[in-house]
Amino acid sequence: MDDFQSSEETAFVVDEVSNIIKESIEAAIGGNAYQHNKVNQWTSNVVEQCLNQLTKLAKPFKYIVTCVIMQKNGAGLHTASSCFWDNSTDGSCTVRWENKTMYCIVSVFGLAI
Amino acid sequence: MSSVQSATDIAMEKAARSLKKQGSLASSSVSQEYSVRLQKRHGSMSTISFMDEPHGDNMMHPPVRMENTFQLQPYCRFPDGQVRNIIREVLEGYLAEERYEPELCRQMTKTLSEVVKARVKDLGLARYKVICIVHIGQLKDQTLRMGSRCLWDPKFDTFASFEFRNKSLFAVGTVYAIYAD
Repeated sequence: MDDFQSSEETAFVVDEVSNIIKESIEAAIGGNAYQHNKVNQWTSNVVEQCLNQLTKLAKPFKYIVTCVIMQKNGAGLHTASSCFWDNSTDGSCTVRWENKTMYCIVSVFGLAI
Repeated sequence: MSSVQSATDIAMEKAARSLKKQGSLASSSVSQEYSVRLQKRHGSMSTISFMDEPHGDNMMHPPVRMENTFQLQPYCRFPDGQVRNIIREVLEGYLAEERYEPELCRQMTKTLSEVVKARVKDLGLARYKVICIVHIGQLKDQTLRMGSRCLWDPKFDTFASFEFRNKSLFAVGTVYAIYAD
């Protein structure tokens, strides 16, 4: 990494990213209850909003954003990820959000260019 | 004869030694001169013709320096079809006879993502970073929507995905491949 850029400016800061995710979910879903015909829209909104905000950070990263929205009815869901990348520069952040009627799980992976 | 030879040998050795001394003297004087020139710099250009620097044992094994490859593209495209087959094999192999149990599936997601990653790594694709995500969920008449969006270079970066389901559970495996040079 170049010396003239401070590491903070070009690093993957998890706190920053998790805030972006939370805000995106709140903005897209907010206090809505689960509606079957809206889920499609919500999913794309969350992902879109996240990616928009991430690009605004203007960091040299490629991003992968995934979003899962699931209705709450007692069914289980498990998620795991494994990565083959440069540990010193790349990072990920996953946020689990829920309200009374649904779960929303958003993961962001940032890979340094 | 032998004594004469040995005498000449000795003479040659002496000569060599004195040469060495002179050489080292010369080199040190050169470097001194050089440093002096560096300090003064009367608008003149100077080039170093000889430098004699002390070096330790590690000079016996200088570090290997690779040449530039000038390779700006991946050596091969990411074989998404092949990777999809890997995901299918792994998911079907591990989950075909399984019923949904929370504890088992919790462990299973971790295992499967590791297995898929290892299998993809075994393909030996240089310059690709790999992210494997595995979801396992219970089938219980719920709705679930999965989506993803990426900011990347569509020319080289790609993904492969496979969905598996049996009577009591479903599993989705996704592998993202990101080109990094």
